[in-house]
Amino acid sequence: MKFVDEFRDAELGRVLAAEIVATVEPGRHYKLMEVCGGHTHTIYKYGVDDLLPENVELVHGPGCPVCVIPMGRVDDGIAVARHERVIFTCFGDMMRVPGGDGTLLEAKAAGADVRMVYSPLDALRLAKENPDREVVFFAVGFETTAPSTALTLRRAKAEGVRNFFVYCNHVTIVPPLRALLESPDLRLDGFIGPGHVSTVVGARPFEFIPSDYGKPVVISGFEPLDLLQSIYMLLRQLAEGRCRVENQYTRVVPYDGNPQALAVLSEVFELRPHFEWRGLGFISHSALKLSPTYEQFDAELRYAVPGVRVADPKACQCGEVLKGVIKPWECKVFGTACTPERPIGTCMVSSEGACAAYYNFGRFAREREVV
Amino acid sequence: MSCDGDHCVTCSDEAVPMRVAEVRAGALALCDDTEVMTDLVGAVEPGDVLLVHAGVAIARAEA
Repeated sequence: MKFVDEFRDAELGRVLAAEIVATVEPGRHYKLMEVCGGHTHTIYKYGVDDLLPENVELVHGPGCPVCVIPMGRVDDGIAVARHERVIFTCFGDMMRVPGGDGTLLEAKAAGADVRMVYSPLDALRLAKENPDREVVFFAVGFETTAPSTALTLRRAKAEGVRNFFVYCNHVTIVPPLRALLESPDLRLDGFIGPGHVSTVVGARPFEFIPSDYGKPVVISGFEPLDLLQSIYMLLRQLAEGRCRVENQYTRVVPYDGNPQALAVLSEVFELRPHFEWRGLGFISHSALKLSPTYEQFDAELRYAVPGVRVADPKACQCGEVLKGVIKPWECKVFGTACTPERPIGTCMVSSEGACAAYYNFGRFAREREVV
Repeated sequence: MSCDGDHCVTCSDEAVPMRVAEVRAGALALCDDTEVMTDLVGAVEPGDVLLVHAGVAIARAEA
């Protein structure tokens, strides 16, 4: 397909890899964070990191929406799912995220009506097909996913649907990035910016990273050549002493985002005063809830949500992985007690999670290195 | 499209290119076997390629 195949061209990949080698200064160590879990997945799936010189290190950021959901929010979701009249719907990966009291998949096995949907629109359709039931959608995701929930709610309101509710866990990307940049144990040279979040919000919201923190950002696409080119653009900025937001993904990302998407987001949602992030703690104004105009659809107002707070398992180091302080394989339980089949931490659940991506595609390379 | 296999495009920040097969009323389009909301990309026609995430077209893949 056009715009996919040409960004997987191996020969061009080798050319870019050679440009990267020619750009780095020997003896200097470069630490670049890919913010988005989708990038992590591409890097491991296509072996992008194997093409980089040893002194260019990629650090995996907090941009996997499943990985940042704290256990207590999962437990709250399960509590809603156990209501007799409720059909509880969610995306596939959320079913396997462990809360303090099991997963949604286990709640389903125990009798709760939990169903996987591809989109919130599917959940709304389910509500219309089951007027005697109450359908709740477990909304997760960054600004890429939030418009889908918002547009679905707009439809639900226009059609007068009264048995559809949203358990809103949408988060925003800028506050956790700022929290990371404020973290004293993190030293980064630049950021590979999230491509599809930027399709919605644009590249402009990331300007604070060069202006306030002196780090370059390149908004990147998701194919292997996109990532190689973005890494090259970051290294060029560093080599030339420049520091700004650049947009590698111009074929999709407008600098100011998508105005229709931003309009529906501000109509349907408002910022929560604070929200707990797995591994990062509470971050102010970092998540969305339904605005007063849409509160009739708010599952947290409809049901008694217990507001559970659960500390992460002691053995689990998802927090450090999310902050890029340790590599997945440095976690004590990686690949032994914690695997994609039986995850302890969220980073092992979603294929976008750094641990799962590393487990599925990178661990053999690591084993070779160790040998 | 599903959440199975090695990749959950919905839970990630990814969007996949999909070709419009049929335009439907209410800012909807059938792409492959999936009904997609097209509110964010304006009017679409059969054959257009859209970047789809969680049931919504967030951009056009081809100008």
